Amino acid sequence: MNEHIVKSYEDELNSLAAECVRMGGLCEAQVADAVTGVVKRNQELAASVVVRDDKLDEAERDIERKTIRLIALRQPVADDLRRAVAAMKVANNLERCGDLAKNIAKRTLVIIESDPLTPLTRSIERMGKLVLGRLSSVLDAYSRSDLERALAVWSQDDEVDEHYNSLFRELLTYMMGDPRTITACAHMLFVAKNLERIGDHATNIAEIVHYEITGAEIIGGRPKTDGLQV
Amino acid sequence: MPDPILVVAGSERHDLTGRRFVFANAAARELLRITAEEGMLLSAIRDPEVLGAVDRALFDLADAEVVYETTGAQSRSLRVRARPLAPAADGARLALLTFHDETEVRRVERTRVDFLANASHELRTPLASLSGFIETLRGHAKDDPAAREKFLGIMQAQADRMARLIADLTSLSRIELDEHVPPRGVVDLAPLVGEVVEAATPLGAQRGVKLDWRPCAACSVSVRGERDQIVQVVQNLLDNAIKYSPDGASVRIEMQSGLTDTAAAGVSTDIIPRLSLVAPDPSSETYAVLRFTDLGPGIARQNLPRLSERFYRVDGQKSAARSGTGLGLAIVKHIMNRHRGGLVVASAEGEGSTFSAYFPVAGAPEAVVKAS
Repeated sequence: MNEHIVKSYEDELNSLAAECVRMGGLCEAQVADAVTGVVKRNQELAASVVVRDDKLDEAERDIERKTIRLIALRQPVADDLRRAVAAMKVANNLERCGDLAKNIAKRTLVIIESDPLTPLTRSIERMGKLVLGRLSSVLDAYSRSDLERALAVWSQDDEVDEHYNSLFRELLTYMMGDPRTITACAHMLFVAKNLERIGDHATNIAEIVHYEITGAEIIGGRPKTDGLQV
Repeated sequence: MPDPILVVAGSERHDLTGRRFVFANAAARELLRITAEEGMLLSAIRDPEVLGAVDRALFDLADAEVVYETTGAQSRSLRVRARPLAPAADGARLALLTFHDETEVRRVERTRVDFLANASHELRTPLASLSGFIETLRGHAKDDPAAREKFLGIMQAQADRMARLIADLTSLSRIELDEHVPPRGVVDLAPLVGEVVEAATPLGAQRGVKLDWRPCAACSVSVRGERDQIVQVVQNLLDNAIKYSPDGASVRIEMQSGLTDTAAAGVSTDIIPRLSLVAPDPSSETYAVLRFTDLGPGIARQNLPRLSERFYRVDGQKSAARSGTGLGLAIVKHIMNRHRGGLVVASAEGEGSTFSAYFPVAGAPEAVVKAS
């Protein structure tokens, strides 16, 4: 019912979304490799994450260019406009996730110079898995226009925060116990913070998906737990 | 079950939306969580390496092989092979994608490493204490019958602890190995819980703890699962609740059915935070939930995420007064994950704790009708 008279207009919109999804796949891989890199102390993997970040930057620029072109030439309205804008915003968020993954990888290169902190890396691994699950859920929601799934991601933000807070305390205990671990622990703290930020971007994308599908913003506050969020 | 298979069609290299899957067998639809038999390739799979392999097969007409890891509660690792096929009648290029599951192989390896590390670390303490006492018994406590009795008592306790540890570790690694094998069988939940509660009543009575079991009156609930493992879940959660209850308090065991996953998980309040330790992948299943509530000291929020970690003890609880192995919740977590169920803890210091374990209901449609 929504057939466009000019077929290629629809194609353009579809391929814009498709490019976003492909970029999402790249981003997931970057985050997954960054987490594996820090958990397994894999220098090679971490270095490759740093190098590959360019691809994400390139993809974001490309999507932005195409969106602007499409808006200028086709002057979309209503849900077409929302789709175009959503693509651009999703790409922005993914690019930020990519930067955070790159930052984790850079810190990994420093962390592996000191002795391993085994129980800590377990906590990071758990948090990484959780965040990655959210990212991939929200990208599923975006690529399949699945409102329900997007809302599920949106409403479960507090779990990542709980993990972050728990890790924060764990790190403090380590640093107090043995000052020689401070360098590695301080970097770990940023790794955890970056993961938490990636989780926030997943929430943002969930909001964008909601807007794209319904045209309305999500009403009501997110269930938020207050502890020592910094 | 056959391996997942996808047939992918594509026209031009630059045309992203043109890459579609034109056939997906049931296994592939389950793996990639897609409902249609055809659609845009990117809506089914985004992994850059897999997409690269598809491109090689479609446009370079070359075979390609990559490893693909899925995310989610039950992550799997699969070897993906892409092979070019003869073009379709309409001239579209075709490629065949096969997925071979290698999760088990990797898991066995990792479990073995973990088992050795855990076992050797945790057995060291009681062993050291045993050999210390043997030395003392041979030395200056040789002719002191009172001291000998006391030491032998301690040694007995340490040996028991080692035996419990080994039993828990072996059952944990067995459960881990089966984690990706869906449980067979159907279990009627209420009588099972009734039996476990009955068996635990004397243990509670020893400590003056009453067990308050409330089966839901209207529903007989069958869940998909393996009986022995569900017994273990109920037992471990009940043991914990009894263990941390103050003397003379009661432990409440409730059961509800016909809930969605979010309803089964319950809600967080300002006073009592809640955290899910195991969550099933989103689905439209209905669940039956068991809630175990104690009036114990409760668990501080910052300790919640680490509860199901092996050998994790909340600070200051390392003393032998509570005689656990530190593996009970880890075992529960793995069993719940295998059953595609969930485990949620709601607790705050001084407010007691509630552990909720929820299982997918067998023959879901009728159960919903009954509950509503």
